[in-house]
Amino acid sequence: MEEDEFFGEKTFQHYCAEFIKHSQQIGDGWEWRMSKDCSDGYMCKTHFKIKNGTVVSHPGTSGHGQTCLPLEEALELPSDDFEVTETAAASEVIKYEYHVLYSCSYQVPVLYFRASFLDGRPLTLKDIWEEVHECYKTRLLQGPWDTITQQIVFFASQKFLMEHPILGQPFFVLHPCKTNEFMTPVLKNSQKINRSINYITSWLSIVGPVVGLNLPLSYAKATSQDEGNVD
Amino acid sequence: MHYPIGLLFDLLASSSALPWNITVHFKSFPEKDLLHCPSKDVIEAHFMSCMKEADALKHKSQVINEMQKKDHKQLWMGLQNDRFDQFWAINRKLMEYPAEENGFRYIPFRIYQTTTERPFIQKLFRPVAADGQLHTLGDLLKEVCPSAIAPEDGEKKNQVMIHGIEPMLETPLQWLSEHLSYPDNFLHISIIPQPTD
Repeated sequence: MEEDEFFGEKTFQHYCAEFIKHSQQIGDGWEWRMSKDCSDGYMCKTHFKIKNGTVVSHPGTSGHGQTCLPLEEALELPSDDFEVTETAAASEVIKYEYHVLYSCSYQVPVLYFRASFLDGRPLTLKDIWEEVHECYKTRLLQGPWDTITQQIVFFASQKFLMEHPILGQPFFVLHPCKTNEFMTPVLKNSQKINRSINYITSWLSIVGPVVGLNLPLSYAKATSQDEGNVD
Repeated sequence: MHYPIGLLFDLLASSSALPWNITVHFKSFPEKDLLHCPSKDVIEAHFMSCMKEADALKHKSQVINEMQKKDHKQLWMGLQNDRFDQFWAINRKLMEYPAEENGFRYIPFRIYQTTTERPFIQKLFRPVAADGQLHTLGDLLKEVCPSAIAPEDGEKKNQVMIHGIEPMLETPLQWLSEHLSYPDNFLHISIIPQPTD
């Protein structure tokens, strides 16, 4: 209803639209979903991984320490190749869902996520954390995220189970109360170097890896090519 | 999902006589539909998360963030052990607002209806209008859930219930927030069909 803050719901929707535009260009799978009553919406993405880094061989993959290969790529192979290289059973495939919603209480985006086996059994937070731990560790070691790293580690411990505000199903959530804290230096810095950023891109590139969600670098480049600012 | 028991009663069983008879299951946990609640700490974390969100709305988190860890603990322990004075000693600070204001920044509320997929409606809503008039419960409903209230001459189709009673729609929202909130500092409002009797 009210938008006297920097990051109101309309601003959120604008950044999401820009983000999704780029996602569509590179086939990254993000899409926008409206609530049934059409009063608001959210971004979502689903991907599949094989439990515990059973690597599926796939032509064209560099495979540098990539312990979690997307299953969809494997599934695109002709069935003969697939049977030869695939060793994981169907029960080992995990479906991850990521939803980005807007919190009007904190006036920031919030990341909701859940994971389940293909037969519908949900993963617990402990299971998920074990799964993403490898990917995250690698990412942490790579990052230039010195000051932010500590905050991420704290932030990561704040995740727990909540009800999805639109779907009403249980999802894990990265609690939004600290978002402003770690986003403020990012925003200040972008103002200093006079470069417009997409809030969603920056935010998701920080919190995503904590739960197994990585953003290709092209998102950042796409933002700096955007003309004009949010009105 | 960790809803207050009074809210569950209003929403799902308000026509039942008290005491409310419920069935507790100890076998056949529906693994596909529900996630296990691993410990009591999770309930505490959820409760504190609601408190923090309520204060984010009321005071931009300033009051709750100024409190010490032991104050947060006292809120939870007071609730857990049914010690109202212990709870209220801290919670009353969350019910204050600056002298120059007429109320909180925004009112923490959630509106529940069993007929919608969305679990609840929660939006930003100020307790005081630009002209200084206090917003009422009716004002809130008109703005965020207009289907809940009947048109002027129309038949009353719904009950608007908080803590098992129907407050008058003219009640100022600020007053409701200070006096009729649940322990988590939210107004949990149920919209249920008018019983036909």
